[in-house]
Amino acid sequence: MFQANPLRLYLACIRNTLEAAMCLQNFPCQEVERHNKPEVELKTSPELLLNPVLICRNEAEKCLIETSINSLRISLKVKQADELENILTKKFLRFLSMRAEAFQVLRRKPVQGYDISFLITNYHCEEMQKQKLIDFIIQFMEAKKEISELKISVNTRGRLVATEFLKQFM
Amino acid sequence: MAYLERSSPTLKETLLKIYRAEKPIEIDQHFYEFGSIQYHIKCSVLDTNIVYVSTSTLLETQGIVTSKEILSATYEVIKNIAVGVIDIVDPPRLGFQLTLKLHLDNIPRGKAAEAIKIITRISEIQAIILSSQLKKMLKRLNFQDDSQAINNNNRPIRIVYHPSEPFYVFRQAEKITAVFPMNFKDNSDVVIAMSFFQELVEVGSQKEMGKAPQCSWSPVPPFQLRGEPVHDLTTNAGFVSFDITSRHVEGKRLDKTVWNLLNFYAYVKYHIKCSRGYIQRRMRKRMDSLVKRLNNTRFEEEAPQKENGACKYVKELVKVPKGKLMMQQRCKDMTRRVKISKFRIRINGCARFRFNQRWISIPKFSSKSSNKSYTKLD
Repeated sequence: MFQANPLRLYLACIRNTLEAAMCLQNFPCQEVERHNKPEVELKTSPELLLNPVLICRNEAEKCLIETSINSLRISLKVKQADELENILTKKFLRFLSMRAEAFQVLRRKPVQGYDISFLITNYHCEEMQKQKLIDFIIQFMEAKKEISELKISVNTRGRLVATEFLKQFM
Repeated sequence: MAYLERSSPTLKETLLKIYRAEKPIEIDQHFYEFGSIQYHIKCSVLDTNIVYVSTSTLLETQGIVTSKEILSATYEVIKNIAVGVIDIVDPPRLGFQLTLKLHLDNIPRGKAAEAIKIITRISEIQAIILSSQLKKMLKRLNFQDDSQAINNNNRPIRIVYHPSEPFYVFRQAEKITAVFPMNFKDNSDVVIAMSFFQELVEVGSQKEMGKAPQCSWSPVPPFQLRGEPVHDLTTNAGFVSFDITSRHVEGKRLDKTVWNLLNFYAYVKYHIKCSRGYIQRRMRKRMDSLVKRLNNTRFEEEAPQKENGACKYVKELVKVPKGKLMMQQRCKDMTRRVKISKFRIRINGCARFRFNQRWISIPKFSSKSSNKSYTKLD
């Protein structure tokens, strides 16, 4: 219970920040005619960018939310306790990033220093409901739970295989 | 999966195919297994009852006596698999260590089960060749006195049955130790293997597994392996050791012990491969569920509900069959709602009390239970 509360507070903080940040509107590119680009990626016009918000649960887990007038970038860093969690996290998040076209809001390459990144534009906000999109991002952050389950499954499988191997000698 | 099969599946399938063929067939096949085991099968149309099977493997042991050949005792074991069916050809075919001449007409025709059993045993020749050498070694080490071991300086025996996968066997006080240097190409394989070795050591130390060989892992080679080639002792996943006592080497247990030791590398690799497949399946499943959740965020599902902009509560669309009568009913419902919205004086919550049917009519709710659910717009 005590461990769940910090997580809930962390997720609640991210949710509130996203609700405030996800107010996007269409804004054509100021530099190139008839182009429409996510300003948070280009960062050429400082007047179109808001202050980035960094929410840290601890040293290893944090969330960076960068907002601009027409786009929003969310970068997540997931805690990795040991080597096995490290490779499982890398594999899983890389697996998802390589299939970013299925997710639309997912960035193919995470921002440096983070494990996974989302890019939400005003077009996504027009096609998708804001609250449900925020719910999706929050649920995505429960990837840690999936990775923990994977780790337990791999260890359990290893234990069963080891038992069967040693039984052959008996 | 407890252990890998002894019989070669390709060899068994090919021999069964020749045995069961109704018409004579010509076969001249070359195939490899596990990278280092080589087979050649030859069968002529002119004489379909004779099949030549040649095999070759990496057989290298370095220690007290260097040996790269099949032991003479092994030939006797192979001949006794099926008396009258197997002849050993001397000299063997060029490039192979052993060539067998199989007389398929001597296999009893009426009894299919017995024929399959004989052919399965013939397919196990590689397992017999590899096992026999290690069996003799373990027996000799087991009966060796401690004084003899000291005289031999306890030198480890290096066994190479697969290129780049050597393992060592040496005698200690009251036990024989088999040491496996573990190497993997991929970093993720190393991590999965390390977690497996940790479980192996933990399971081996349990009381229920007291009869199994003691298993240990260390990141550095044991001191008995000092002086061995550096490239063999350079690993990225440490060294796994099994302590084999006389109990594991006596009687029928010797065969199992030898087979398990020979297949330890293959066993670990198979476990890693299966673990990776399992991880991939879980990731794919999770990805599908996330994509589904994301697709549910779209507005398209609620597009038809935007027509009732005046009402706070929107009726969930009922799935109706496309028929003329149902379409007419829906049109009537729509007209009624438009009339309600155009009523001049509107008191919230009093719609049910308006009895002037010229202006308004109370919408009739369907008796179906599915119609009673509403979704509220934010």
